[in-house]
Amino acid sequence: MLQATQEKLNLNHQFDAKRMRHYLNGQLSVLHCHHYASLYTQLAIDAKETDLLTRVSEETFHGVLANYFDKHNVESLDERIAIACEHYGAIGLGQMAVHHLGSDSGEVVLAHSHVDEGWMKKWGKFDQPVNFIGSGYIAGMFAAIWDKPISTFQVRETQSIVQGAPQSRFTVYKA
Amino acid sequence: MIATSIMTIDRKKIIADMSKIQIRGDAHGMIEGFNVFVTQLPAQFWNSFADRLVSKVDPAILGATEYLLVNAAHECGYHTGYGIITSQEWNAVVQPMVTNVPEDILHGAYAVFTAWGWANSEVVELIPGEKMVVRAYDYYEADVVNHGKSNRPSAYMIRGVSAAFMDLAYGGQYDPSGKTGLHTFKCEQTKGIECGDEYGEFVVTRA
Repeated sequence: MLQATQEKLNLNHQFDAKRMRHYLNGQLSVLHCHHYASLYTQLAIDAKETDLLTRVSEETFHGVLANYFDKHNVESLDERIAIACEHYGAIGLGQMAVHHLGSDSGEVVLAHSHVDEGWMKKWGKFDQPVNFIGSGYIAGMFAAIWDKPISTFQVRETQSIVQGAPQSRFTVYKA
Repeated sequence: MIATSIMTIDRKKIIADMSKIQIRGDAHGMIEGFNVFVTQLPAQFWNSFADRLVSKVDPAILGATEYLLVNAAHECGYHTGYGIITSQEWNAVVQPMVTNVPEDILHGAYAVFTAWGWANSEVVELIPGEKMVVRAYDYYEADVVNHGKSNRPSAYMIRGVSAAFMDLAYGGQYDPSGKTGLHTFKCEQTKGIECGDEYGEFVVTRA
């Protein structure tokens, strides 16, 4: 199982004192709390727009990871996976491990999850998966790792921390 | 009109000190602080979801959708805001400057709000317990427009947080459950950079 075991990710933080904006690896970044993520997720559920939340996450993180791999000449599969997992944790989304990865499918496990643990801290357990942000990240990550465009992979959350499981589990397959 | 007769909040110093913040997830990939879990995601992610959602929903539920986007920030601002103004960082940098409570706390809170990259903003009018006007000279939520002007202001996050800050200042004792204290104020956005204005303007009044 590949996961972020040591720091391979170069996380460059810059503050633009003129515009009062913070950048991580050149990308404008903002801090938000679990109340914010939980209420955005709840809004997506209520509006029946969870696919949109996943899609936006996929687009965003596919771009972030593809740019990073390109800029830092990261070419090996193992290194790309390790960096993508480490990035997930560096930005506070949780502890990710890629159980296995192929060109057509794969499986990803989260031992910790901001979305799930934040949801439970705010409201308690829930009877369905809520980590649409994580699903999008994983879809974008698989595509970036294989140098494929977005929408190449689909992700299904099969086990969730928010439902009481010890870890969240995602099945990935080519669309 | 301005409540504080002598401003003791050194906004420049707060921004200089607090903007040095650098965060990275712990061994579990989690960021904990101010009694909440935190992420540092690309602003594009939050903007894109909010902008696409309000652009595609049925006009009949547009108002409700925008209310929920504002409310996400309102609850975030209430709980995280309380965590910030009771934090070690606040006590080290801002608290020594506070002489007029809660008005100085509000001015200090917007300096921190600026330093941590949510919006370059400040209080320009404050009637204690009644009304606050905030101006934001640069904010990421305006980035949804790259050309032309939108006819719909979109700084939902600043609206929610501004109402929350007034809740904390004048809405009674902080309630971790959010059942009291929260939603005692509301905020309207009257100007927006995304709408072609020079700055965003936010008016907070009693709910």
